[in-house]
Amino acid sequence: MTVFLEHLTLFYDQMISFFEVALKFAPKFLPAVGLTLQLSVFSIFLGTIFGLLVMLLKLTRLKILEKITDIYISIVRGTPLLLQLYFIFYGLPMLGLKFSGFTSACIGLAFHSGAYISEIFRGALNAVHPGQVEAGKAIGMNRLQIFYYITLPQAVKQAIPALGNQFIIAVKDSSLASVITITETMLIARQFVAATYDPFPILFVAGCYYYLIITLLSFALKIVERRLSVNER
Amino acid sequence: MNDKIVLEIKNLHKHFGDLEVLKGIDLEVYEGEVISIIGGSGSGKSTMLRCINGLEKRNKGEIIFEGENVKHGQKGFIKLRERIGMVFQHFYLFPHKKIIENITLGPRVVQNISKAEATEQALKLLKKVGLEDKAKVYPAMLSGGQKQRVAIARALAMKPDIMLFDEPTSALDPELVGEVLQVIQQLAKEGMTMLIVTHEMGFAREVSDRVIFVNEGQIAEMGTPEEIFENPKDENLKRFIQSIY
Repeated sequence: MTVFLEHLTLFYDQMISFFEVALKFAPKFLPAVGLTLQLSVFSIFLGTIFGLLVMLLKLTRLKILEKITDIYISIVRGTPLLLQLYFIFYGLPMLGLKFSGFTSACIGLAFHSGAYISEIFRGALNAVHPGQVEAGKAIGMNRLQIFYYITLPQAVKQAIPALGNQFIIAVKDSSLASVITITETMLIARQFVAATYDPFPILFVAGCYYYLIITLLSFALKIVERRLSVNER
Repeated sequence: MNDKIVLEIKNLHKHFGDLEVLKGIDLEVYEGEVISIIGGSGSGKSTMLRCINGLEKRNKGEIIFEGENVKHGQKGFIKLRERIGMVFQHFYLFPHKKIIENITLGPRVVQNISKAEATEQALKLLKKVGLEDKAKVYPAMLSGGQKQRVAIARALAMKPDIMLFDEPTSALDPELVGEVLQVIQQLAKEGMTMLIVTHEMGFAREVSDRVIFVNEGQIAEMGTPEEIFENPKDENLKRFIQSIY
């Protein structure tokens, strides 16, 4: 009985100290969370533009452009993001291309998600029924008009769920920027852990921040998805 | 119907790889004429229709529309399609656009007609096909027969000189076929020139000026509905008609 009580008290004390540390460090995370948000926004925004651009290059059906985009996509898919970030930050300066840590991280993350996003767009465009294009042709529309008024809007709608997934991955991938000296959520967590030797509450807080960001993002995506699906009701 | 030729098809050939689908089709279509195209599946009747407005690129032969012989890929080719209305078996309405927008899209984008004018015209067309109350809904809300009537209105909005129907009722439940045929019949009465690929023999018989029987990529027999249905000469046509009745 006494052993049990002892354990209970110990657990209680640990809980108290857990919350003390967690609450003490939570606000200290804010600047780093801000950086995570910035990295995520850049990565998603630039990545989407990258992805659209790559998809448009593919649509031109010019062999050389197609080849270039294929190589780009296969490089991104064939190597780890961690290595890509290292390469941009430590490797490229050897060639005289020197970027700040933050710029390197943005370029790396956008370059990475852009490849996946372009594939998502391509898949979504292919998923639009060919009859839609024929219907557009039959009323005299040209290729550009068909793309803008008919295929693109339907493809965007198709792409939203997969795109949302990719955005979420982009948020989490931003944690890898910690290895190239960006003091975002993950790196600050590591630093706090090193200072306190108390990893549990600190990693817990870091996890909470990520979870919060992604939950909000998912919520926003759900709203967009619902807006776009009005024509199915 | 008068003796002005709207569409002339000369020696039309089309193959997909090694498969020869059309082996020399010749046809003249007069203004106001309604022609039904019948034949077994795979006979090439749909391909023939699709070659006329260039959804399929022909391999050989000429298609002369209102005196113009425009080839695939040539300037003006796309313009030609405005004057050739097409209705598909599976409707292909634009699912992300409301019914009214489905109809106004072509006139607005292709013909640069103002929104107000295009809308007014679209409402008239919707009334004509009996769907004026559906202007503000999305295609997903409609039955197959209603969708097909909207598709007809969409094609008519471009003010075409000829209408091509590619099995307009084949994807419909039997009880919905009638409403679509009624609309087509109305168009026939108004003097619209039409080519209709169909399996509705009763309808073909009633509405057509001429009926064409296509077999293995060629026009095997052509004549008035009476000639084709009462007194067929081609052996394949005889068999085809027997298989249906």
